[in-house]
Amino acid sequence: MTAEILVHELFKKYPNGIEALKGISLEIQKGQFFTLLGPNGAGKSTLVKVMTTLINKDSGDFCIAGINPEINQSKIQKIIGVASQDNEIDPTEKVENLLIFQGRLFGLTKPAAVKRTNELIQLFELEKERNKKAGVLSGGNKRRLHCALALVHRPQILFLDEPTVGMDPVARANFWEVITQLNCKEKVTVFLTTQYLDEADKHAFEMALIVDGKIQYSGTIANFKKMVNPIGELSLDDSYLQFVKALSDQELTNN
Amino acid sequence: MNTANILLIERGIIKLVKNPSAPIMGFGMSLFFLLVYNAGIGGIGSMEAFGTGGYLSFVFPITIISLAMGSSAGAGQTLNADMQSGYFKRLFLSPVPRWILVVAPMLADTISSMVFTILLIVIGAIFGVSFQFGFISVLGILLLSFLWSLTLCGFSAGIMLRTGQHQSAAIVTNAVFPLLFLSTTFLPRELISADWLLAVSWGNPVTYILEGNRYLLGGTSSASFFLIGLLLFAITSFISVTFALSSAKKIKV
Repeated sequence: MTAEILVHELFKKYPNGIEALKGISLEIQKGQFFTLLGPNGAGKSTLVKVMTTLINKDSGDFCIAGINPEINQSKIQKIIGVASQDNEIDPTEKVENLLIFQGRLFGLTKPAAVKRTNELIQLFELEKERNKKAGVLSGGNKRRLHCALALVHRPQILFLDEPTVGMDPVARANFWEVITQLNCKEKVTVFLTTQYLDEADKHAFEMALIVDGKIQYSGTIANFKKMVNPIGELSLDDSYLQFVKALSDQELTNN
Repeated sequence: MNTANILLIERGIIKLVKNPSAPIMGFGMSLFFLLVYNAGIGGIGSMEAFGTGGYLSFVFPITIISLAMGSSAGAGQTLNADMQSGYFKRLFLSPVPRWILVVAPMLADTISSMVFTILLIVIGAIFGVSFQFGFISVLGILLLSFLWSLTLCGFSAGIMLRTGQHQSAAIVTNAVFPLLFLSTTFLPRELISADWLLAVSWGNPVTYILEGNRYLLGGTSSASFFLIGLLLFAITSFISVTFALSSAKKIKV
């Protein structure tokens, strides 16, 4: 198997002194559905921002699909799709135009961008919203559009940073159907961060747990559950809570 | 230039067309200066110091200056709107050079300024503004206008990017406004009586764009003003674009 995402000893400190990443190392194989879990402020979004070339690392290395971001940043941007926590849409533009424009920015010809736009509008059930300005869409539809925009150029790797926040249950189900299909059929590697652990449990296979900028566990979800509770059957949610609580207790004892 | 870069510049122009308040404000201010000053004190244009072009040709360059002043906030406003909506982050993640994300709205602004400059030239010609070297004068005016506009847009966008507030895009207009009154804006150098004002006008960059244009219009100035103006505003354009690009590094995504 080929490692699609390789992270080695990554450090990141913000100007305000907060050390968000303290030597993160990860290896995610091609076609893997991976989830990064951790409490708020643990460093999940920072790691995604570094890997998607939005912010610079302080030290350490990483490469995406064998590409070094320091040598070829735009090549990485061409093969990744990013749907982050906040909607990144131009509210003054129509849904259809936004999708076409996004496709064209990624090098699609106009007919190809139009074709892809039609596919995504159908996939995310945005047909009725096609000619509406993005700013007037409901919260759920904005999220759908936001996620659709991340898929326009058929990315090889998807970074989903809490993508389903604000989606209603139906929209969430549809969204996961699209993502799991991409993962299973087109072998798109998925890197997911979420606070909805049931979603992670249902769709992901591998996971890492980050707390205070450090990886505390890395491996399969099944092994994580087994590690936390070798005898019983705990959900990921319960296993996570138990593990994080134990970490916190340990820290208190150490202090 | 690749397709993505052209698309981003196109987008900047479409944004200005959809929200034309900045360029229209600049154009309105220019027409106001042209019509009001010519109507008010145009009579003095018969004096020898105003040359053969009369007061209308003499005062015309101020319309070019005020046009860019009024519309220079457009790029900053476009960038600010994208940053507020989060769309800038999406553009930031696109495989386009990051400098074009800042330069595209500035170029769109400058192109819009050029279009309105041409419109002003046409209006000026209809009302009797003289162009000493014909079409070459028009090209010279456009060139000076382009550099002046780019200078203001760059500083305006840069300040907005650094402060993150759309109101700050207008700081440049406010800063430049007093310079209009410390130059040969309304009277030729020969008729300015205060020595201090004459001295200040030498160091005022606005003087070189005014006098440079006057050389091309009514011939009341010398070619050296035009050439110094070109050099001066080529330098300021470079500085302002560099300032805007360096300011882009301050953006938090």
